[in-house]
Amino acid sequence: MISRQTSLSRNIVQFCRYLRQKGFSLSVDDETTALNALQFIDYHSNEVFRQALKAVLCRSRSQLDQFDALFTDYWKELEKAVDAKEKKQPKQTLKPGVNQDSFKALKSWLTGNKNEEIEQTASYSTHENLAQQDFSAVPADDLDEIMKSIRALSRRLAAQSNRRYEKSAKEDQPDLRRTLRKNMRNGGELMHLIFRKPKRNRTKLVVLCDVSQSMDLYSAFLLQFMYSFQQVFRRIETFAFSTSLQSITSLLKQNDFSNAMKVISAQNQSWSGGTRIGESLHQFVTDYAARLLDKRTIVIILSDGWDTGDITLLRQSMEVIHAKARKVIWLNPLAGYTAYRPAVAGMQTALPYIDVFAPVHNVDSLRKLGKWL
Amino acid sequence: MYWFFLSKQTSSLDNHQQPTLADISTLLQEQGYITDTSVSMSLFLSLQLSKPLLIEGPAGVGKTEIAKVMARALQTDLIRLQCYEGLDATHALYEWNYQRQLLHLKMVENQPQSVDEKEQTIFSDSFLMKRPLLQAITHHRKPVLLIDEVDRSDEEFESFLLEVLSDWQITIPETGTIKATHIPQVILTSNRIRELSEALRRRCLYLYIGYPDFEKEYLIVRNKVPGIDARLGEQICRFMQQLRTLKLEKTPGVAETLDWALALSALHIDHLDKNIVEQTLGVVLKDWHDTRQVQMSLSELMEKTGIHSKLDSL
Repeated sequence: MISRQTSLSRNIVQFCRYLRQKGFSLSVDDETTALNALQFIDYHSNEVFRQALKAVLCRSRSQLDQFDALFTDYWKELEKAVDAKEKKQPKQTLKPGVNQDSFKALKSWLTGNKNEEIEQTASYSTHENLAQQDFSAVPADDLDEIMKSIRALSRRLAAQSNRRYEKSAKEDQPDLRRTLRKNMRNGGELMHLIFRKPKRNRTKLVVLCDVSQSMDLYSAFLLQFMYSFQQVFRRIETFAFSTSLQSITSLLKQNDFSNAMKVISAQNQSWSGGTRIGESLHQFVTDYAARLLDKRTIVIILSDGWDTGDITLLRQSMEVIHAKARKVIWLNPLAGYTAYRPAVAGMQTALPYIDVFAPVHNVDSLRKLGKWL
Repeated sequence: MYWFFLSKQTSSLDNHQQPTLADISTLLQEQGYITDTSVSMSLFLSLQLSKPLLIEGPAGVGKTEIAKVMARALQTDLIRLQCYEGLDATHALYEWNYQRQLLHLKMVENQPQSVDEKEQTIFSDSFLMKRPLLQAITHHRKPVLLIDEVDRSDEEFESFLLEVLSDWQITIPETGTIKATHIPQVILTSNRIRELSEALRRRCLYLYIGYPDFEKEYLIVRNKVPGIDARLGEQICRFMQQLRTLKLEKTPGVAETLDWALALSALHIDHLDKNIVEQTLGVVLKDWHDTRQVQMSLSELMEKTGIHSKLDSL
């Protein structure tokens, strides 16, 4: 009796180790909890036993999903081991044709084709993989997942910048002048305190997004990013351009994302043709710069710099924008490739007027964008 | 029976007030909470091991309800802390009632008390406004503390919470440290707006509640809306199951299903048809775009649900 029970607790500890191998992050504490939990349940029932371990050992939804299979695997193996002496099962031998997979694996190993074995590690998660994925190579299945993480990211970035201003404001500092003034009617008794905080010095954003064909693969993601950003970050103006410039701020504000994209791409089709960054930026400078640009504004340009238009116009416009805005960030999806050099004529011209030149080709790079805002 | 850990844990077994697993299941059922065994198991173990229970899942599947059921199970009070962005320690812990302190000082101005005495009175319990966390700690009996939508709070607050959840004591500079009289039973809920920190997860048992399948949802509807026509209930649930397969901005939860069932049964309707759905869609969908999307694909949806409007109208 005793030995059986100790073997149960030992098995649980070993099961925890097995789970750890499979990427569960379990501490010794968790093992203790699992053992403690046993005293409250009827562990003779396999079902109750599984439920209890599941409730104690899982920490996230993906773990919950994995647990049942792992549980069955482990205890099945264990049963085999217990019954090993009785030799009920005939010993499995490797016969070609019977066990195709292992035969193939052996064959390919013998012929020297070492296939990379897939290893599961604790750090494995679809999110991380997707974060590294180039936008242009996103399979349709993962689209939703990426869009979701972009939305979450932009929300967080916007919240971050919000909070930063609030924290820098010392809210707990009483405003003596106003407090005294307000409490005059109470005979100078300070009944109501008034606090002061420095005026919010909020950054404004102007986003110029290239929606020409060469940017097609990326702009959908970037616009999703801007769209979600705009939902929380109020002082932001968004423009789309290919051969000419168009403000899409209200479009993004009023519509839900899929609608906005439809409208934009519909207009984009009618424009089709090369990008004329110079003309587009010039249009921005003449029509909007005076109103929108000041020393609190960060200008973000999303473009690959492929330009079929006037180079001098581009230089002039960039010069003006650079002089008026606080910072110019040029996000280029191609810059994500290690071999990339900004050799395109348009890019070459614009480079001296850019404060930050950064890649935007995956979710990770969008995350880094938060640093400069 | 001999267990190596029994020796140090026997004291908790003496406490016969603790409900058993079966108790929890029946209690959930009695309260009309239809669910599977994983929920009752998690609840049971979090009670027995006195660990917080973290419940995740989409909106409207009854996460908050669980805390209420738990409070009833323990026959104790539910103290709720609703989290939101910018929630800070003063709103979660305590605040001094400044105005009252001032008035009090004014009143005792001419009394011959020393400054120390005066100070002691104004920094006493009656001038302290207890917020949920402090309330939970100083409650006269073991309460259930519901920390709702913890994912909405900032990360700073989360780490602050972590500290309170592990130490169960709060230090007020003016009066000193307050230790928990009873350690509350904690339930945290999250809609997964942002990922919670690993440290917080570690401390909790984890439970995920998703949308119920058809059978379960049907049972819930029958249970919560007793007067409902059997066919209507079935159609509503089938329709909701189909609705959740669409990509909506706000996928309706069980709460919406129940609202809808209540509304339709109050109208004495015994089956769904296109007209009725169109007219009452506002009960289920709370977003204009969703409403339009569903209206556009309504015929298809009805078809998939297995409702043929032409047959019904005959």
